[in-house]
Amino acid sequence: MDYAQFFQQVVSGLASGAIYAALALALVLIHRATGVINFAQGEMAMFSTYIAWTLTTNHGWPYWGAFAATILLSFVGGLALQRTVIRPVERAPVLTIVIVTIGLVLIFNGLAGWIWSAEVRAFPTALPNETVDVGGVAISIQDLGTLAIVLALVVALWAFFQFTKIGLAMRAAALNPDASRLVGVRVGWMLAIGWGLAAALGAVAGMLAAPTVFLDPSMMQAILIYAFAAAVLGGIDSPFGAVAGGLMLGVGLNLIGSYIDFVGADLRLPAALLVILVVLLVKPEGLFGKPIARRV
Amino acid sequence: MTRPGRSELVKVGLFAAAALAVLFVPRIVSDFRAQQFAYVGIYLIALLGLNILTGYTGQISLGHGAYMAIGGYTTAILISDQGLRLGGHTFSGDMRDVWTIPLAGVVAGAIGFLFGFPALRLSGLYLALATFAVAVATPAVIRKFEGFTGGGPGINLFDAPGRTRPTETTDPVTFETVTEPIRVLGFEIHSFNEWLYYLCWGIALVMFALAWLIVRGRFGRALRAVRDSPLAAASSGVSLAKYKTLAFGISAFYAGIAGSLLAIATTFVNPETFPIALSIFLLVGVVVGGLGSLWPLVFGAIFIQFLPLWAQSISKSPGAPSVVYGVILIAVMLLLPTGAAGLVRRVGWAASRLVSRT
Amino acid sequence: MSTRTVLAALAAATTALAVGIGSAVARTDAGAADPGVTPTEILVGGTAPLTGPASAYASIARGAEAYLKHVNARGGVHGRTVSYRYLDDGYDPGRAVQVTRQLVEQDGVFAVFNSLGTEHNVAVRSYLNARKVPQLFVASGATTFGRDATAYPWTLGFQPSYATEGTIYGTYLARTRRGARVGVLFQNDEYGKDLLAGLRRAVARSSVRVVATQSYEVADADVQSQVAKLKASGADVFAVFATPKFATQAYVSATKLGWRPLVLLNAVSNASTVMRTIAAGGASGLLGRTISIAYLKDPTDPTWRDDAGVRTYRDVLRRHAPRARPDDVFHLYGMAVAHELVRVLRAAGPQPTRAKVMRAARTLNDPANPFLLPGIVVRTGRGDGFPVENVVLQRWQGGRWHTFGGLWGPPPR
Repeated sequence: MDYAQFFQQVVSGLASGAIYAALALALVLIHRATGVINFAQGEMAMFSTYIAWTLTTNHGWPYWGAFAATILLSFVGGLALQRTVIRPVERAPVLTIVIVTIGLVLIFNGLAGWIWSAEVRAFPTALPNETVDVGGVAISIQDLGTLAIVLALVVALWAFFQFTKIGLAMRAAALNPDASRLVGVRVGWMLAIGWGLAAALGAVAGMLAAPTVFLDPSMMQAILIYAFAAAVLGGIDSPFGAVAGGLMLGVGLNLIGSYIDFVGADLRLPAALLVILVVLLVKPEGLFGKPIARRV
Repeated sequence: MTRPGRSELVKVGLFAAAALAVLFVPRIVSDFRAQQFAYVGIYLIALLGLNILTGYTGQISLGHGAYMAIGGYTTAILISDQGLRLGGHTFSGDMRDVWTIPLAGVVAGAIGFLFGFPALRLSGLYLALATFAVAVATPAVIRKFEGFTGGGPGINLFDAPGRTRPTETTDPVTFETVTEPIRVLGFEIHSFNEWLYYLCWGIALVMFALAWLIVRGRFGRALRAVRDSPLAAASSGVSLAKYKTLAFGISAFYAGIAGSLLAIATTFVNPETFPIALSIFLLVGVVVGGLGSLWPLVFGAIFIQFLPLWAQSISKSPGAPSVVYGVILIAVMLLLPTGAAGLVRRVGWAASRLVSRT
Repeated sequence: MSTRTVLAALAAATTALAVGIGSAVARTDAGAADPGVTPTEILVGGTAPLTGPASAYASIARGAEAYLKHVNARGGVHGRTVSYRYLDDGYDPGRAVQVTRQLVEQDGVFAVFNSLGTEHNVAVRSYLNARKVPQLFVASGATTFGRDATAYPWTLGFQPSYATEGTIYGTYLARTRRGARVGVLFQNDEYGKDLLAGLRRAVARSSVRVVATQSYEVADADVQSQVAKLKASGADVFAVFATPKFATQAYVSATKLGWRPLVLLNAVSNASTVMRTIAAGGASGLLGRTISIAYLKDPTDPTWRDDAGVRTYRDVLRRHAPRARPDDVFHLYGMAVAHELVRVLRAAGPQPTRAKVMRAARTLNDPANPFLLPGIVVRTGRGDGFPVENVVLQRWQGGRWHTFGGLWGPPPR
C-alpha cells in the first residue's frame, strides 16, 4: 500500500475540510442563534470575499487591513440584513423565511457578477506560499494556516458563548425568547447579532477558501453543500461538531474518491449527500449534538 | 365520501367555467404564447402535488425536482429510439408519449412513497435538508448511470418515434408537402404548441380536480391534522405513518407527471434540465401561490414561468436579471407572506364586506 | 361557500382573461419570404449564459453585438442593419430550448447565431433543422457540430473542434517527447471527453502513454484530490482539459504538491487574463512550462498592438460597448464570429433567404479574418464542416504567449 499517497489524500482532505468547516461554523451559528437555515450563507461569504479582493487589488490595502475591514463590514451587513429583510417575516411560516434566503442567494450572486464580472480572479494570502515535504507528502503552509485559523475560531466562538454576557444572552434568546425578554434580553438585537456574527464567519471562510479555489461568483456554491453535510454530520447546533464534521468529511470524501473507483470524482458530491441522509436517519442530532426530543 | 353540499356544487360550477375558459385560451393568444402557457400548466401540476405534501401535510420538500427528473427520464427512455438497456431488456421507441405520462407518474409516485418511510423520522428543517440533498445529488447520479440514462449528453426526443406531433409528408402523386395534423377525440390540431397546451392543461385540470377531491374529504382533514398537531392526530387514531407516506407518494406522482410533460414539451432531457434550481423554484411557486390552497397556485406557476423572462427585459447587464428576480421574490414575501392565496382571501373579505354593506 | 370566495374567483378569472387577451398577437401565416428580413433589417438571435455558472462567457455575445453595431454604423449589409438579439438561458439546456423557440416563433429571427454551450445547441439542433432555420457559428467546439453536417445541414460550428485540439497536443508530444507519460484532468462532459479522445487517438501508435485520467464535475468545489492522484501516477506531462476556474485551481494544486510537469492547457482556458490570474495565485513556475494552441489574436499581446484587427477590436468596444473590458478575450471571439456572419449575409445577396445564407455558410473561404492569426483560413466545403481548423502552438514565457512552429491542421489549398 502506498502510504505516501494515502497520507497525501488525508492532508489535502484536511485542507478542503477546513474550508467546509469554516462555512459550517457560520451555518451552525445562525441556526443556533436564530433557528433559521440560511441558504444564502455561501453567497454572502462570496460577496464578502469580493469586498476584500477589491480592497486589496483595486485600492491597494494591505492584506490584514482588508481582512479586518471585510469582517467588520460583513458583521454590519449581516446585522442590517436581519433587521430589514428577516425580521418582517419572523412570524410568517418558516417556508417564507426560506424563500427570502433564496431571494438573497439570487441577489448576491447577481450583484457580484454585475459589479465585478464573472471572471476568475486570484485572491491574495498573507501566509507564505511554500510547501514542506514530509516523507513524500507535500504539506502546504497555507493549508496549515487555514486549519489553525479554523481551530482558533471554534475555540473563540465557544469561549464567546460560554463566558461573555452577550454570548449568554444570545443563547438565552435562542432557547427561550419569551423568558429572555422577561429578564431584559433584547431578543431582536440578539438575533441580529447572530446574523452579523454568522456573516463575519462566512467572510472568513470565503477569504480562506479563495486562494485555493479562486474567486468567482459560483465559488461557494459547492462548498455550501459540503458545509451543510459537515454541519449535519457534526451536529447542526454544535460548533465543535461543525469543525469535526468538516474535517472528517474532507478526509473521508478524498479517501473514498481515491480508493473506491466506482465513486471516483463524479459521485463525490452525492457521497457527501448520502452522508447527510444517513446521519439524518440514524442520528439526526449529529455526532456531537445533543439528542433532540422526538415528536410522537 | 361525504355528499356534496350546495357550496361545493357552486365550486364545481366555477371549476367547469374556469375549465372552459382555459380550453378557450389558445383561440385568442398567439401560437407561441400557447406554448408558454403550456409550461404554466406543467408547473401547476407539480405545484399541486408539492402543496399536498407541504401545504396540507406540513412536510417540507426541497427535492421535488428529483421526482420530475424520474418522470421525465421514464418518458424519455420509453419513447426514444436509443435502445437504452436495463437488465436484459432493451427499451426503444415502443410507446406513444401520451401513454408514458401516467406510467411516469406511477414510477415517480412509487419512489416517493418509498422515500416517505425513512422520511417519517425527519421533520421540519431536517426533512428539508434531506430532500435538498436528494435534489442536489440527482444530476450527478443521472450522469453516472449513463448506459441507462444517456449520461451527460442526455436524450434527444425531437425525432423520437413515440413523439406526438404534426408530421410532414410528401404526397407521392402531387409531390406537395402535406402536414398531417394530430387527431384527438375527433379534433384536428395543426400546431405542436396548441397540442402541447391542450395536453398539459387537459391533464392539469384533471389533476386539479383530483387534488380537490383528495383534500376536501376525510383524507384531507387527516393530512391537515398531521400538519397542525401530530400529537393530537396520533391520539385520535390517525396513523401518521400512513398519511405522511401517502402524501409523499401522491406529491411525487404529480411531480412525475409534470416531469414527463416537461420532457415532452422540451423534447430533450439531460441531467441539467432538472437542476437543484428547479426544486427550489417549485418551492418558491408553492409559497408565492399560497400554502394550503389550490387554485391560487396558478399564480405561483405563472410567477416561476414568466419572472425570469420579465427580469431579463429590465436589464441584460451581467448578473442583473438575477438581482431583479431576487428583489421581486423578497418583496413578494415581505408584502404577501401567505402568498397569493392570502391576498385572495383579503380581497375576498374586503369585497364581501363591501357587498354586505350596500 | 361564501360571497367572498365567489367574488375573489371572479376577480381572478377576469385578471387571467385580461392577461391572456392582453398578450394576444394575431397569428401570422408564414409568408413566402423568410421571417426576420425586412427591407431595412435582418434579425438574428441566440442564447447566452447571462446568469448562472457560465456567465463569464456572456462576453462572446457582447463582443459580437458590438461588432454588428459597428457594421451597421457603416451602412450594414446590402442596406440593412443586422440586429442581434440574445437572451439568457442561465446555462440550462431546457431554458435554451424554450428561449430559442421564443426567438424563432415569437420574435421571428432569420437565423440563430452564436448560441453558447454544447448540450444547449444539441438540444435545439433537431428543432432548428426541422424548421430549416440556420444555426450558425455555434459557440462550442464539440466535434458533432462539424462532423454531423449531413444529418444536420442547417447547423454549423466555428472554432477548432476539441477533438482536433486534443489530437494536436498528442501529435506534438509524439514528435517531441518520446516516452512521455501523460496525466489528464478533464471535465466530465462532451467537451472534456472530446479533448481526451483526440489526445488518445494521436498517441495511440507512439511511445507516449496516457497513464492516468481524472475527471471532475462542473458542480465540484475543487480539484485538489484529482491532481494529487495524477501526480502520484508518475506522469511528467499534465494535460489540463478544464475550464478557467478549474484550470487555475489545477495549476495551484500542482504547484503546492511540488509537481513540475510539462503542462498542456486547452484553448478554453488560455486567455492571458486567466494566465495572469494563475500567476497571481502563485503558480508562475508551471506557467513557464505551459503549451497551448491559439487561433485568435491576443489583444493584450504587444505584438499585435498596432495590428489593424486588434485596433478595430479596441475601437469597436470603446464605441459600441464602453462598459466592456477589452482584456476579456471572449469579446474578440465574438467579433471574429460576427465578422464571418457579415460575410455570409453579404454573400447571400440583396434578397437573402435562409437557404442562400446556408449555402454561403457551407462554402466559406475567408483567408483574412482580422481577428484570427495570420495564415488561418476560415473555410468550409463539401465534406468539410469545420470552419476553423488551423491553429498555432504557443508557449507562455515572460508574461505572455509566444507562438512557435507553423500552422497545424489541414494545409491551406
